[in-house]
Amino acid sequence: MKYRIFAFVLAAAALAATALAQNSPLPLPPPVEKELAARASNVTEVTLGKNMLAFAAKFMNGKDKDEAGVRQLIEGLDGIYVREYSFDKEGEFSMEEIDKLRQYFETSEWSPLVREREKKNTESTDVMVKLVNGESHGMFILTVEPKELTIVLILGPIRMDQLGELKGIGGLGALGGIEKGVKIKAKKGDNE
Amino acid sequence: MDEFEQELRQAFVRRPAPPSLKRKLMARRAEKRQTRHRHTHIQLWQRLAASLVLVALLGGAAQWVRRDREERRQGEAARQQVLTALRITGHALNQMNTQLAAHDRTEQR
Amino acid sequence: MAHDWQPDFEQLVDDHQSMVFSIALRMTGDRGLAEEIAQDVFLELDKHLAKIESPDHACFWLRRVTMSRSADALRRRRVRSTDLWVEFEEHHGAPLEIRDSPLGARLEALLATLPEAQRAALVLRYQEDLTPEEIAATLAEPVATVKSHLQRGLKLLRAKATPHLQEYIRNKKEYIRGV
Repeated sequence: MKYRIFAFVLAAAALAATALAQNSPLPLPPPVEKELAARASNVTEVTLGKNMLAFAAKFMNGKDKDEAGVRQLIEGLDGIYVREYSFDKEGEFSMEEIDKLRQYFETSEWSPLVREREKKNTESTDVMVKLVNGESHGMFILTVEPKELTIVLILGPIRMDQLGELKGIGGLGALGGIEKGVKIKAKKGDNE
Repeated sequence: MDEFEQELRQAFVRRPAPPSLKRKLMARRAEKRQTRHRHTHIQLWQRLAASLVLVALLGGAAQWVRRDREERRQGEAARQQVLTALRITGHALNQMNTQLAAHDRTEQR
Repeated sequence: MAHDWQPDFEQLVDDHQSMVFSIALRMTGDRGLAEEIAQDVFLELDKHLAKIESPDHACFWLRRVTMSRSADALRRRRVRSTDLWVEFEEHHGAPLEIRDSPLGARLEALLATLPEAQRAALVLRYQEDLTPEEIAATLAEPVATVKSHLQRGLKLLRAKATPHLQEYIRNKKEYIRGV
């Protein structure tokens, strides 16, 4: 009897481990991304899970102040999912496709932080945060410009001001005033 | 050379070697050659074994070096990806800032 | 000069086994030991055969190594001169003319009583007919040292052999008178 229980516990543990391994917090890419990528003239897709982030952190230059900051930022994260699509001309993507993207990522755990729409052109910004016990455990940004789409999904404890501190790394220099710019906005007719 | 020395020369003439000397010598020589041949075989096998071990060790060391190099390459690639992701994040946030600022200006009018 | 002479081991054995055996025998006074030494010397030659450049070189090499091996054997065995006398009393394959000369046998026996260094010099001088310079090269000693050994050895041998020599001369004279 003892051995049966032991074997059962072992099997359960093995199953749990397998399940954990298979359940990466990062979502699979939505089908619409493939369509957008096919039409884009320039595609950048970065997907880094927890292990890969920890691995990359080892190779950050500890002597460089900015990279040390990056290391500190990414070490605690569960994943980074980034997509940037550039198009040669306007109109290469529709608002329906953008809505599909947003809906794919906007699950119940996410709270909208920013929802900005420009009626004159197809520009928009969506920022969502994942709150767990009142603390931020994820950030989602979707920015749309006439010829460019950007999706940023960061999972794990992250604060906007942390990103702001990382100036001087490949264009992050203008993040200084981020906190000020973050507002919860809802406009008429934008709840699609 | 005086008479005494002549006597010495006569007394010290070479003695013939016993007949058994050559026979025993050739037998020992043949045996040594066989043993040497066997030793050479053993040595060859020992050398081969040692070479194989050395190759395995070197192969292992080379593999380690390759693995280490590969890890560094992958680590650098991962680092670059992180920086790219953060750059894009920064760009997206800048975009967001710009849009929000434009909206604020519109509202203020 | 082109190295066109190829050493033939068996031929070298045939040519020089008596020389090697005799040197070893006169140095050690032990027949069995001398045979052993001779075998060892030739087996050593077999190992170094490729380095032997000429018949003279072979001869020189064999003498040198035999002397060396004999000296080693003496150090190990510590053969006493009295034992040597018993050995030389026996006639083991000695040529008739030697066997018929009691002086000759006595001289051989007396040789064994000399210090090793003098013995070596005398063997090479009177058995191998080498000059002091050739002896010096064989033993790797200075010529002056060799000459000193020869002189002292000869003096000692002469002194030891004198009663026998006197008797020998007396017997010879009687023999001549009688003829």
